[in-house]
Amino acid sequence: MNDSAIETQADDGDLVLEYDLDAPPAQVWRAISIPEFREQWLPDGALADATPVSTVGGEEIRYRVRDDEPPFLESVVTFRIRPNEGGGSTLRIIHAPPDPRLTSAVPAANDDAPVLMRAA
Amino acid sequence: MVENDIFKALADPTRRAIFEKLAAGRMNASALRTGLDISQPAMSQHLAVLRGAGLVREEREGRFVNYEVDPDGLALIARWLAKYRAYWPARIDALKALLKDMDQ
Repeated sequence: MNDSAIETQADDGDLVLEYDLDAPPAQVWRAISIPEFREQWLPDGALADATPVSTVGGEEIRYRVRDDEPPFLESVVTFRIRPNEGGGSTLRIIHAPPDPRLTSAVPAANDDAPVLMRAA
Repeated sequence: MVENDIFKALADPTRRAIFEKLAAGRMNASALRTGLDISQPAMSQHLAVLRGAGLVREEREGRFVNYEVDPDGLALIARWLAKYRAYWPARIDALKALLKDMDQ
């Protein structure tokens, strides 16, 4: 298993991380895009919205992330999947700095969404 | 909130370019404009926003004003980066565990 992450510093201040995964792209895509799977490694509580900002089937998906502490800044993270040479996948995470224009002034009143406490 | 002001100020590409330029070292407004297609009044306005957000501070030397990055503002950006630099590897570990489970 290859645990190495390559980090590149983008000019626009984005945090960019790249991982090689053993699983093939189709499987990684399911783990990232299907809510039941995604929730197991990226919980709803970390997201401002469980619905993706945008989706390019099998290749790219973007979510709105919400900070877990005041002022609860919201930012957009992009996951890009492509096949690597070993039959696995390269996952690129592009996390743009918070854009306060995204942040909703009032927390969404979702009756069906329980308040999630971060486990210690 | 300070973080709000900081990230709002930097959400503008021109202001981010000015800030990145200042990160290389202090300079005055006309040196800052070199290489950036921006009028003097616009530069003043951008610098005012960056100062207001606590990202840039001005140093007066007689008739001259130099601008430099405010370390306190920079520290807040660094804190955000450090947080998610640590956050994503932990999420990826959990993703890898899930991918293994899905195989079975």
